[in-house]
Amino acid sequence: MFALNKVDKRFPGVHALKAVDFEVGQGEIVGLVGENGAGKSTLMKIIYGAYQPDGGTITINGATMRFQTPRQAMNHGIGMVFQEQSLITNLTVMENIFLGFERQFVRFGIVDWKAMAKAACHQLAKVRLDIDPATVTSRLSFAQRQLVELAKVLTLEERIDDDLVILLDEPTSVLAKEEVELLFRLVRDLARRASFIFVSHRIDEVLELSDRIYVMKDGAVVDVVAGDEADVDDIQHKMVGRDIDKEYYREQKQAPYVGEEPLIRFEDVCVDGHYRDISFDLHRGEVLCLVGTEGSGREAILRTIFGLETPTSGAVTIRGKRVTRFTAMAGVAQGIGYVPRERKVEGIVNGMNVHENMTLSQLDRFSDLGVLRIADEREMARDWVERLAIKTPSVRKDCGGLSGGNQQKVVLAKWRSGGSDIILLDHPTRGLDIGAKEDVYEMVRDMNGAGIGIVLVADTLEEAIGLSHTIIVIKDGEFQKRFDGMPGAKPSPYDLVHHMI
Amino acid sequence: MTLERIKPHFPWMTLVALVCVVGAANPAFLDPPGLLSLTTDIVPLFIMALGMTFAIYIGGIDLSAQQVANMVTVVATVYLSRFGLGVAAICVLAGFLVGAASGFVTTRLYVPSFVSTLAMGFVALSAAKFLSGQRALSMDVTERNASFGWMFDSTVGVPHQLAIAITLLAAAWFLQTRTRFGRALKAVGSGELAAVASGLNVNRVKILAFAISGAFAGIAGLLFSVKLSGGDAHLANGFLLLAIVAVLVGGTPLTGGVGGVINTAIGTLIVMVIRAAMIYLEIGATQQQMVFGIVLIVAIALTIDRSKLSGVVK
Repeated sequence: MFALNKVDKRFPGVHALKAVDFEVGQGEIVGLVGENGAGKSTLMKIIYGAYQPDGGTITINGATMRFQTPRQAMNHGIGMVFQEQSLITNLTVMENIFLGFERQFVRFGIVDWKAMAKAACHQLAKVRLDIDPATVTSRLSFAQRQLVELAKVLTLEERIDDDLVILLDEPTSVLAKEEVELLFRLVRDLARRASFIFVSHRIDEVLELSDRIYVMKDGAVVDVVAGDEADVDDIQHKMVGRDIDKEYYREQKQAPYVGEEPLIRFEDVCVDGHYRDISFDLHRGEVLCLVGTEGSGREAILRTIFGLETPTSGAVTIRGKRVTRFTAMAGVAQGIGYVPRERKVEGIVNGMNVHENMTLSQLDRFSDLGVLRIADEREMARDWVERLAIKTPSVRKDCGGLSGGNQQKVVLAKWRSGGSDIILLDHPTRGLDIGAKEDVYEMVRDMNGAGIGIVLVADTLEEAIGLSHTIIVIKDGEFQKRFDGMPGAKPSPYDLVHHMI
Repeated sequence: MTLERIKPHFPWMTLVALVCVVGAANPAFLDPPGLLSLTTDIVPLFIMALGMTFAIYIGGIDLSAQQVANMVTVVATVYLSRFGLGVAAICVLAGFLVGAASGFVTTRLYVPSFVSTLAMGFVALSAAKFLSGQRALSMDVTERNASFGWMFDSTVGVPHQLAIAITLLAAAWFLQTRTRFGRALKAVGSGELAAVASGLNVNRVKILAFAISGAFAGIAGLLFSVKLSGGDAHLANGFLLLAIVAVLVGGTPLTGGVGGVINTAIGTLIVMVIRAAMIYLEIGATQQQMVFGIVLIVAIALTIDRSKLSGVVK
């Protein structure tokens, strides 16, 4: 019914979708899996009209469509349930459900709230949510909001005659187990009225719910499997493109760290609203991985170490000295390097070239009385371009034009060339292709070898386990459990998940 | 892609095109002595625009420049007899302090720069009115000539005013491209969050950018005052719009990060040519601001980096 034919999409430096064929039948639940950066989000954005494909066509029942905006896609029955929710929290549930489509309730220029409430109740009944539609959205739980979001999309049923296609983007990532089951039962019931595209990185859930599963890797669909024939290991294999083995995370290069004086010591550190009573030590040559769900407080811990958050209580000690001033400036002065998740926003300065980016954190080392020694900067940059095999035509090339992996290397070079011996990695492989990921893993091991201590928030559990010496599991801002992860004695993802949720 | 590549060259191409058009329509415009005097006339505006470039380069704006210049004309006139040439230092310092205050309000109190500089502008205006007693003051001509008479001379055909402008341009260019401060300025303008995450003292950079803008406005005010041999709280009126136009048509967008002081030099020349053309076309002084208002909007629309606005403009 709904199909994408040879859809292609490019962004500067990335070929995000490579001639993707994708099809959804009436009443079908289609799963879409892939690693971060495989192209799932781009594909979805094309389906619901946020992006336009560079090549290929979109057809509904054979007729070619072109969606310029999400609203046009909606008018053809395509609705999106967002992962980061799109509800406006200070509006009521019914206002949110009919946001942008209030006209049907307007009589002589005035909104008939009773009619809207009645219609909202009808929508809420579809998702079996028994709440007052006049409730302000901020008072709902996360799971309830997700259902409201679904109800909002289901208003399409009354509005248009076409068949519905509803996209669910990582709907289960923050739901409890019972809530997930509830949602799945609901989706199966609703499949009589609509087709679903279910996007998740939890393969087991996708298998449970989907009739058919598309597996994506590096912007291409590598396989389509029927739900009842699918096998978790098999799909995982296809997602990564090979066995995730010890080689992949460079475990053979993982050396034990030296248990001397810690680089960082956290003692009962709290940041209100983010985490409580966190304690750990980071040693030279150690990779310490903070594991938890989104919003568990792991990023906030990284930001505290760097100085972007100030603890409300507890003691942070760096190299034996108690930290009193929490600013990024102080952090950098202490030899801490931060590789942020938002690489293009906080990592590199788009519009500055390679050597300018590398010296940004160490301008005092490359200047006399405030005047820059640009030749020295270039020489240093050339050296690091070679050491980290950064693919750039020259050190004068704008960093914004480099590929994600090379941008990440520039960020790492910035800290390493400045002599930082504590490096904080926040999702360092996010959005990178496999080769670039392996480069990052290789660099992690190099840094370990050089005696650098690393605090990591990983993109996947496998990455966390593969890379780390020590794993600390955090849930809702509280310490859960500590695992040691020397090669040969690493915990399994299952061990961790158990403490995460 | 090709448009993106040509975009940095728009300003000088515009300038060349304008000069050709105006020169073809009125060959007298290309007469070298006339051109030289036109260029010399525009020096105070250029200096104000040069300072403004720093504020806009970091993605802010300085709406106080004109009022700072107004205030300085009064300061210069009032204190000339007491300090002689030394009044210049007082003028620059006054401008620097007003700019630094705007910068402080912007960075520490999180007041957007268009409001903080607007408000500081009124403070400066009020100070000018208070100091002048709301009257138009004039300088003692002998005192003026004793301290600043050299400004009206020229060496080997180069008017000293123009030499001042070129010196300041060279200094500003050095500051922008060769110093730590200039690099930090670029980082703040192009990617403030990355600058913070690299441990730069972003607040200090911003305060300094506004202070420099104020100091240049102060120099511009001093030049006005000396040229017109007097000071009052409205002497520099009408120059704010032109200074902003000069920066933006020069190719430093409101979103900051690209362009710079050389661009502003080109932008100021474009303003000069447009003004000359309007005189030739007999567009009255009252209508000129209208033209520049429209030029400003066109320049912003052409130069602004929409990807930095994340779709929200308020």
